[in-house]
Amino acid sequence: MSTQDRVTINKLTTGVPGLDEIVGGGLPEYSFNIIAGAPGSGKTTLAHQFVFANATPERPALYFTVLGESSIKMLRYQQQYTFFDPAKLSGSIRFINLSQVVLENDLGAVLAEITREVEKANPAVVVVDSFRTMVRKPESDMELQSFIQRLSLFLASWQATTFLIGEYAEDELRDNPIFTVADGLFWLRQTPERNSIVRKLQIIKLRGQDSVPGLHTFRITDAGVQAFSRTFGLSGRVKDPPSHRRLCFGIPELDKMLGGGVREGDSVLVAGSSGTGKSVLATQFIAEGIRKGEPGIVAVFEERPQAYAERATSLGLDLETPQKDGKLTILYLRPLDLSVDETMHSILDAVQKIGAKRLVIDSLAGFEMALSPGFRADFRESLYRMIFALTGIGVTILSTVEVDESFTEFPFSTYSISFLTDDIIRLRYVSIDGQLRKIMVVIKMRGGNHAKDIREYEITDKGVVILGKRLTNYQGLISGIPVHTDRRDLTEEPAQEPGTKSKS
Amino acid sequence: MRDLAHRLLTYEADAGKTSEPKEFPSLRVYEKLRQILCEFVGVAGFLSLASRALALARTEAPSLSAARVAADGSLQSLGEFAPQIEIDTVEYPAGEGGVILIDRLLGLLLIFLGEALTLNLVQNAWPGAAFHDSNSGNRRIA
Repeated sequence: MSTQDRVTINKLTTGVPGLDEIVGGGLPEYSFNIIAGAPGSGKTTLAHQFVFANATPERPALYFTVLGESSIKMLRYQQQYTFFDPAKLSGSIRFINLSQVVLENDLGAVLAEITREVEKANPAVVVVDSFRTMVRKPESDMELQSFIQRLSLFLASWQATTFLIGEYAEDELRDNPIFTVADGLFWLRQTPERNSIVRKLQIIKLRGQDSVPGLHTFRITDAGVQAFSRTFGLSGRVKDPPSHRRLCFGIPELDKMLGGGVREGDSVLVAGSSGTGKSVLATQFIAEGIRKGEPGIVAVFEERPQAYAERATSLGLDLETPQKDGKLTILYLRPLDLSVDETMHSILDAVQKIGAKRLVIDSLAGFEMALSPGFRADFRESLYRMIFALTGIGVTILSTVEVDESFTEFPFSTYSISFLTDDIIRLRYVSIDGQLRKIMVVIKMRGGNHAKDIREYEITDKGVVILGKRLTNYQGLISGIPVHTDRRDLTEEPAQEPGTKSKS
Repeated sequence: MRDLAHRLLTYEADAGKTSEPKEFPSLRVYEKLRQILCEFVGVAGFLSLASRALALARTEAPSLSAARVAADGSLQSLGEFAPQIEIDTVEYPAGEGGVILIDRLLGLLLIFLGEALTLNLVQNAWPGAAFHDSNSGNRRIA
């Protein structure tokens, strides 16, 4: 059958930010869906969002409540959400309580009552909440299956998109006739992870839709349920072609070491121990971008945006004005229980809002700490997804990472993530002539040649300043305890240009 | 809420003049609220609300002492006392039983659901009638 001969399935918005992407663009019209999960997992809120997003006076929504939460209490709490529009209760949404019918009659009478109301109202959306309370009655399996089958047929014929809400445990998923009949099955979970609660949703099935598989994080805020797709809302997006542009730090000697700057769309790792100037370098990278008309985002986890901006001021870098001008966003992402997907959502929002070209994540250790313990186990995998997604849309990422200083090793990161990064700049302390000094070296640049020099630098009121001499009279600098080779003291030998051969 | 209750009773009293009056205005208001609320919260839910409203109203209007809420939520034993509790639509004596009962019932809705949803329910029960304060511009209950 050709594409044009196929029936068109309209997609309805779920009303849940992020969920449309997960379900493949929207919920199929006239589908018969089940939202299952434990108490408190957000089932009713999700259904309300769908109802409020789709109900109209012409095609209203019927919301049947059964033996669960009373309608008064439900609306008392639900109206606290920002999506709740009281005006819709005049003609667009009707709440009908079926408890009396359920208590006094059989499933046939329940079906008759639903049928009567549906025929009267011609609704676009029908919700039965909680459906499970209705089927706990000792009906036979066949009666129940027959009821579900007839309800599904009837509501689809009356062109209603339906949600049945039920409290189900995971082990009830198998061999359940209700789930067989359903076109869509949404499973909501909330799992304790040490002292945190992690909420995840899964589209177990959704007929006719290319939904995103897997478990997706979601959060319930004052705006209701908000879902965070594992694909960060970027599925189907064509990756930007590789760029040959170089982005500078505004530190001439470092930019020279990098062969003119980092390649646009690269992921750069700045690794070093505490106090080596990782954040200073990151700030200079962002400030230089803004100076060149490239908006930037700084995601901070260890200090407040105000403190971050004030520290930049002490380096002679103005981060206040670009924030006011919409050229810079400093995101403070400190709440515990965060997921990488939520962080990504915040970052992507900011990237799209200001058209950011540069992103600083300061630091990966702070980022990891802000995550719920359950997500920390997947930190590497999550970073991979995040970096891949962001660099894919042309954002250049600079991440700082603290490494434990060792005098026997020269580690780049505690996360074994160097394979995720295109470029690595390593900062470290060295003991020279009775002083604790700082050296910098470009470890790798995936996109081209770079200087192999080990350069001494200082942090001044102008930021990172690379001293004009290349350290050639010491051996074992990267060990942190170099040995003087008795050559010229801090030789005047010029810095090596990328691609040229060292004289030493 | 007392003012809205009075408006509802006045509206039903006026409506009763043009149609065949079978019930007192307060009973008509109560019945309309019962119909809409039973659909909304179920009979058991309405029964709870009505019982509470009646208990609260009795403290203010002893004339309601004989009134009872039946299992289906309807008000019983009110008819025989109705002349004592009905409002005088020309000279409204504040504190009369019928007004107080409706006031208390609406008051409970206001507490649980807030003003906007309470007004929605009232409007659904009396479609086409305008009981809100049209001067406020914000549909506030007068």
